Formats: sequence, C-alpha cells, structure tokens
Amino acid sequence: MSVLNKTTAPEGHVERKAEATKSDKAVAGVSHVVLILWSVIVVLPLLWTFMSSFKSSSDIFASPFGLPTVWHFDNYSRAWQTAHIGEYFGNSVLVVGVSLVLVMLLGAMSAYVLARFKFWGNRFLYIMMLAGNTFPIFLAMVPLFKILQNIGILGTYQAMIATYTSFALAFTVFFLHSFFRNLPGEIAEAAAIDGAGEWRTFFQIMLPMARPGLASVAIFNFLGLWNQFLIPVTINASGPKVLSQGLFSYAQQMGYAVDFGALFAAVTVTVLPVLVVYIIFQRQLQGSVSQGTSR
Amino acid sequence: MATVTYDNATRLYPGTNKPAVDKLNIQIEDGEFLVLVGPSGCGKSTSLRMLAGLEDVNSGRILIGDRDVTDVPPKDRDIAMVFQNYALYPHMSVADNMGFALKIAGVPKEERLARVREAAKLLDLEQYLDRKPKALSGGQRQRVAMGRAIVRNPQVFLMDEPLSNLDAKLRVQTRTQIASLTRRLGVTTVYVTHDQTEAMTMGDRVAVLKDGLLQQIDTPRKLYDRPANVFVAGFIGSPAMNLLELPEADGGVKFGGTIYPVAREVLAEAHGSTVTLGVRPEDLETVAAGEGLQVEADVVEELGADAYVYGHTTLDGKEHTIVARVDGRRPPMKGDTIWVRPQQGHVHLFDTKTGERLGD
Repeated sequence: MSVLNKTTAPEGHVERKAEATKSDKAVAGVSHVVLILWSVIVVLPLLWTFMSSFKSSSDIFASPFGLPTVWHFDNYSRAWQTAHIGEYFGNSVLVVGVSLVLVMLLGAMSAYVLARFKFWGNRFLYIMMLAGNTFPIFLAMVPLFKILQNIGILGTYQAMIATYTSFALAFTVFFLHSFFRNLPGEIAEAAAIDGAGEWRTFFQIMLPMARPGLASVAIFNFLGLWNQFLIPVTINASGPKVLSQGLFSYAQQMGYAVDFGALFAAVTVTVLPVLVVYIIFQRQLQGSVSQGTSR
Repeated sequence: MATVTYDNATRLYPGTNKPAVDKLNIQIEDGEFLVLVGPSGCGKSTSLRMLAGLEDVNSGRILIGDRDVTDVPPKDRDIAMVFQNYALYPHMSVADNMGFALKIAGVPKEERLARVREAAKLLDLEQYLDRKPKALSGGQRQRVAMGRAIVRNPQVFLMDEPLSNLDAKLRVQTRTQIASLTRRLGVTTVYVTHDQTEAMTMGDRVAVLKDGLLQQIDTPRKLYDRPANVFVAGFIGSPAMNLLELPEADGGVKFGGTIYPVAREVLAEAHGSTVTLGVRPEDLETVAAGEGLQVEADVVEELGADAYVYGHTTLDGKEHTIVARVDGRRPPMKGDTIWVRPQQGHVHLFDTKTGERLGD
C-alpha cells in the first residue's frame, strides 16, 4: 500500500503538470483563433473597400468579390476633384495639423507646470483636466455652437482649430502629467545650476526627455482628431469641410445614383493616413499604452 | 577662487517645527576641501543645497567670497555641482553635457570645445565625447558629471555623495582621483557624504552634523583624536569607539577591576557621579585575568594583521558590547573570556549628561 502511494504520488504530480500545459495550450489556441477571426473581420472590409475603389459601379455589382476587370484609376481623380475630396483633405491637414501643434505645445507646458511646480490650486486644475476627460462631448456641443456663434467665428478654420485643440488638451495633459512627474528632478536642478532659466530648462532639457511620451500622445491625438466626426458635423456645417464630414456629405449627395467606385476611392483616401500612422508607429502606440498603465 | 561662509544659516521645511539645518556657522577657506558628514537626515545635503541655491535659507546668510548669495539664484552663484545620480542630460552627447553651461553663458563655440576637450583629457574621457550618457559605464558617467563641473571653472565645487553609486573598488579609486583633482585645480570644494571613511580620507577638514546641528568641524586627525562629544566619538572611526558609562572613583573612574586614573579637575567638570569613557578598539590592551574588564568574545573577526573581538561585558547589571583589537597571530576563540584595559592616555571622557568632552 505504502509502496503504491509512493509511486502514485509523483505520477499524479507529473500528470497535473502536463494538464497545466495542456490548458495553457488550449487558452493560447482559443485566443489565437479569436484574434485571427477578429483581424479577418477588420481587415477584409478594408481590403474589399480598397479593391473596390478600382472598379466601376457595375463591376462591383457584377462580381463583388472579384478582382477589377478594368483598373479604374480615374475613380481617384473623380473623387479628388469632382467630389472635392482633395479640398477636404487639405482642410483636414490644415485643421488637424495646426491643432496638433497647438495642443502638444500647450498640453506639454500645462502638464509640466502641473506636474513639477507647487502652487495654490494646482490640484484643482489637475482634477479639472481629469474631469475634462470624462465629460461627454455630446453635452458640450450645443453650448459650444452658441459660444462660437456669439464670438462670430462659427464655420471658420479658427473655430475648428480652437475646438479640436481644447478637445484634445485634457487627454494630453493627463497623459503627459505622469511623464513629467517621473522625470528626475535632479536633472532640472542640474540645469538650473548650469544657468538655464525655466524656459530653457523646459524646452532644451525636460521636453526632449519626455519625447517618447510626446510622440505617443501626438499619434493618439492625430488619430482621434483626423477621425473626428461629431464635432465637424455639428459646429462646422457651414464651414470648410474636413475629410470625414466631406465624405459623409458626398455619400449623401449622391442619393440613388451612387458612384461606388469614386466613393470607395474617397474612403481609401480618408483612411490611408490613419493606416500609415498606425503602421509606422505601431510600437510607439503599444509601448505608450503599457507605459501609461504601469505608471 | 573663493571662501564660503555659512553665517547662522537655517533651513526650516514648511510644515515642520524643527529646522533641518539649525544656525549653521562654517567658514571655509579658499581652496579648502570640506566634507560634510553625518547620518541620513542630519541636514548635510540640505546645507549643500542651500549653498547651491536649490534650497531656501530661512534665516542667516550664505556668502561666497565677500558676496552675500543668500537670495541669489543658483545660476548666478558661480558654482558647479555633482549630483548623486549624476543628473546628466540623457539626450545630449558627453561633449554637449559638459559644454551646456558654457553654451548658456554665451562662450564662443571654439573656446567651448577647447575647454570641453581639455576637461575630457583631464578625466580620460576624450574617446567618449560623442557618446550619449546611456552608452557609458557608471564610472564614466561619474567622470562626465565631474567634467561638467570642471569645465565651468567655478568658484566652488559642490558634490552630493558623488561616489555612492559606484562599486566598492571604483569608489576607492575615484575617491583619491577627486581629492587630488580638486587640490590640483585649487577650487574650494564642499563634499557631502554619509561615509566616514570618505570624509576622513578626502577632507582637509570635516564637519560632522547631527539633527541639523554642527557637532564638530576639524581636521580628520583632530576629529579622530579629540572628538568634541559622544556623537562624534561614536560616528568617526570603524569599528566604532567603545563608550561606557562608568562610576567615578577615588582618583579616576572604575574600569572593571581597575581604576583608570583621571585628574581631579577633569572629573570636577562632570555633572553627576558617572562619566562616559570612550576608548577605541585599538587602544584596548589585553591583560591578565582579574585586571580590568572581563569580556566574553561573541565574534572574532580575523583580518590577518589584526583581529577584532566583538564581545559583551556586564557593568552594574547592564550589558555592554565591547570591541577590542587584538594581536592577529594569537586571537582568542569565540566564547573565550578575555580581560582588557585601556592604554594610558588613550581614553576620551565625556559628560554623561551633556555628552560633551571632559578635559582635553
């Protein structure tokens, strides 16, 4: 009996170990299948759109999943010119570009001050920034519209840029705050002794040190603002259209005579910059997310 | 260069009642290497940071040369500082790190490069000038931090535990390098450390601080031979001095079975009927059984030439630990009983109540 016990005990142990690896494998297998399915769901429509952007409308209906019979590159020129996608693209680049520069500059400066200086009301301001992150944008739309109307800049680039900048500021400050907080104070002191004033310390020492954080936030902000739809549709109805808004109105205008080839071309033009940014900065985005959570 | 004067300098952190540095008075000579030493929280770093201008002075003054710098911002004090973690600018090359202060000061590029190269040569950093700090070893980073200070040719060097991040061997090496370098440059240096060996080996003079109060400032030799109070006596020296509270007896103090003779005038200074007798481990001699103090050896550390006996003794019902240096060739065994007595003329007497030194 005792002999039996002795022999079974280690066996049982080994078996349990084998079981654990088996279940590990099962979890890994299932999660991979799920992830692959998800990727397919996301990637296929993108590919389909891209492929269809080279087809004529009749071709799309004749063989929805086939390769184009004739490559209609003219879809793109039609979208770019007659559908004004080119113009909207320019507007988007201008509005998002200027907003991005402004929000990074202002956001980094506010985050730096909030993170590294002690003054009365510091905590309050930071909490306001946090609250800004949680405030639903839908509630802000009507007052925002009124304010811009009263100032008299409704439907201008300035209005869009100001709105985008303030919209992205809360997140930017929140994100960079922890970054600046974690930079060693000794280095700022070394700069002070080396003769650098506050401005020089910020721009030449602290800002370069926060570069990884700045890059991640800039990418996040770019993606968020480029894809922004609600804000332009609400406050920019009368102004120079940005891409997402222009695309929407283009699809609407066509009514029942849809030029699907050109529409898909327009969609591709809209999505492409986002895709490119994602692909180039993949690592940065992943890294920043994990950094943000671990700190 | 310049002298440095702390004139009743006091630092009170907001929200505390007890000053971190309390009425500090130190006069540092031109070209002197002064070490501030003490246990953590004694105010040594705060004192240094006050001199750097990184910490406010709540009352009193700080002078560099004849100039009152109490309210002068750090950049206008003409000082350079080496930080514990070096505080190198991670995105700049070694050369840019070293030349940053000169660049801000508007020194022309060529002169700047020449000065950087000169300092790099002095510190053996020439081949690393284009590297970023993260591509350097700890010792090299430390030298870059030194270089950044040297390049500026300041009136005063401030060093805040610059060796504490180096491994033991490198620390000893760098210790001598820093000491000889600052002497060669002839720049007044204030150096903060918690390591009394560093303090003793590097300083022209050493200031011992405790709880924000200056305990004693003197040459390393004097500090060792004539500690001003019980704290300094126990802090300086390794292994630490034995401090025993002993009753006065006729013509001296009772040291176990013997009476250690002390002049009547000295004993008269003491408050109360006991005095604290301090004797360094190397000043205890072993004697025949029954004479002096009986010590049970708990641990024996054999260092080759010498051996240290860590033991305990009971005096008036209280147990004391005793460290004695004995002949390394004939050390006692653990558990043995030895008898020790201080060598004549090598004891320090302190007032038990105030902790101050009695006699001289």
